[in-house]
Amino acid sequence: MGKLRMPPPHGGELVYRVIEKKDYAESMAAGAIEFELKATTDPKGVPIRHVYREIVSVCYGFFSPVEGSMTQNELESVLNERRLESGWVFPYPILLDVSDEDLKALDVKEGDRLLLKLKGQPFAVMDVEEIYKIDPKDVATRTFGTPEKNPEVVRQPFDEKHPGWMIYRCMNPNVIAGKWTIINPPKFREPYDRFWLPPAECRTVIKHVKKWRTCIAHQTRNVPHTGHEMLMKCAAYTGDIEPCHGILVNAIIGAKRRGDYPNEAILEGHEAVNKYGYIKPSRHMVTFTLWDMRYGNPIESLLHGIIRQNMGCTHHMFGRDHAAVGEYYDKYATQILWSEGIPSFGFEAPPNEVDKGLKIIPQNMAEFWYCPVCGEIAYSENCGHVDKKQKFSGSFLRGMVAEGVMPPKVVMRPEVYKAIVKWWKVFGYPFVNNRYLENLNKNLEIDLEPMEIPKA
Amino acid sequence: MPHYIGVILDESRLAQIKGTPLEEKVQDLFGGQLKMLVVEVPEDKAQQILKAFDRARIDSRGFLEDLPVAFKRALFEEIAKAKSLDVIDKVLERLPEIQEAAKKEDEYIPPPEIE
Repeated sequence: MGKLRMPPPHGGELVYRVIEKKDYAESMAAGAIEFELKATTDPKGVPIRHVYREIVSVCYGFFSPVEGSMTQNELESVLNERRLESGWVFPYPILLDVSDEDLKALDVKEGDRLLLKLKGQPFAVMDVEEIYKIDPKDVATRTFGTPEKNPEVVRQPFDEKHPGWMIYRCMNPNVIAGKWTIINPPKFREPYDRFWLPPAECRTVIKHVKKWRTCIAHQTRNVPHTGHEMLMKCAAYTGDIEPCHGILVNAIIGAKRRGDYPNEAILEGHEAVNKYGYIKPSRHMVTFTLWDMRYGNPIESLLHGIIRQNMGCTHHMFGRDHAAVGEYYDKYATQILWSEGIPSFGFEAPPNEVDKGLKIIPQNMAEFWYCPVCGEIAYSENCGHVDKKQKFSGSFLRGMVAEGVMPPKVVMRPEVYKAIVKWWKVFGYPFVNNRYLENLNKNLEIDLEPMEIPKA
Repeated sequence: MPHYIGVILDESRLAQIKGTPLEEKVQDLFGGQLKMLVVEVPEDKAQQILKAFDRARIDSRGFLEDLPVAFKRALFEEIAKAKSLDVIDKVLERLPEIQEAAKKEDEYIPPPEIE
């Protein structure tokens, strides 16, 4: 193998649909029909998604080459083939959904320009290409698959207990399709501002500041325990003629399921890993992507691959139960996808071996556990003391944390635990609960500067 | 198929079982940095617990996890009282009281006092 180089963005070019010049932004929005963006809520009224996160991720190029809310043909193409109409691989429907009442009140038609507002301020504009109806339950089920249609990896039908399925299930029945353009760039609040590194900037930092020729991505929605740390360290031994130069931690930030850790603790917990030298900061960097996690295991892994390729990574580590919840998918569904493909999802070969597929290289990793015989954290494919293994379990650790027991440092670094406690004191709770979700939905991760839009 | 519940032992809990037959059942985890008692739970009782607490789940080790703190506390109280690990029926008898306490945990859990 020769020396690897940073792969091109997915689709060839990085999307960047952000207007920085205020005058131009105001003129773009002048006379547009105003619409205040709203959260998607579950039947109990708990916010489970906010489309603003998708608008940010699309416009800053995390989801390149997607440029906005999908047309009906694009949606069908994604659901049937996991491909955009252009042929490029893309896994999830990206949709601006509106209720019947809102659609009626908007009185909008194809060709109109919409001014999308957030927290009462102008945020983005979109030129309406199409308005169409969806059956949210059908979209939800086709997004994640069924045991009958996707027998390779789907083990049980998706239902109300699956948070990703619920996001699509709870969408409104009308979709407004069209390209989004941010006209009022978001100002990230503490602590998000320290970790905000959109793809164009991230590529520059990797290439010219960090000077990493190769870089492996670590997906996270969790505070790191030492099992995660070992996964990062060991997966980074892949590369080309030498181990990867850098590890890019990219946290998924948005609404999460109850019981996960708060976004703030996740970011600062990972930051503690490099700040306190467990992995040198010159080799480890923490960033995030706004996205309300769909917990779609192999489907989610495609999005992760796209995001991190767009950010400039050469490799992506995938563990067991990647981005999974419950037992809807095979525990190794993501690794099956990236090692042999899943034909029923449109992949006769792995996604990095198909036409218009990804260029990022997968690194499928098995498990890490503590071995009392070896006296160290061991890799499952190396350690011969399988009957003695002591597995890292996120839920076991959560139980320990909730009981107020400081985890031993062999399991969780004390500085990581302190990051959890710091935010526990802020929220009065160590994990995501309904109150956290409601506050997050009210405040979001960003603020917007006031902007006056001239009337038409 | 039996499942398990791990009861973590801090210094105070270790003191409460000192000198009892339970001491021999304490398991060392992570090179002795963590002490734990493991309670076996028959399948039907595990299902009863899963039904009582909507976030509870069985993890990849076969352990019941994401149980309310109130449940874990009650479990240890019964263990310390009976000086035995065969207490799951006693805990289930207290289920309504535990569920009531667990509801409050959805809103607030006091943070530990650490630097």
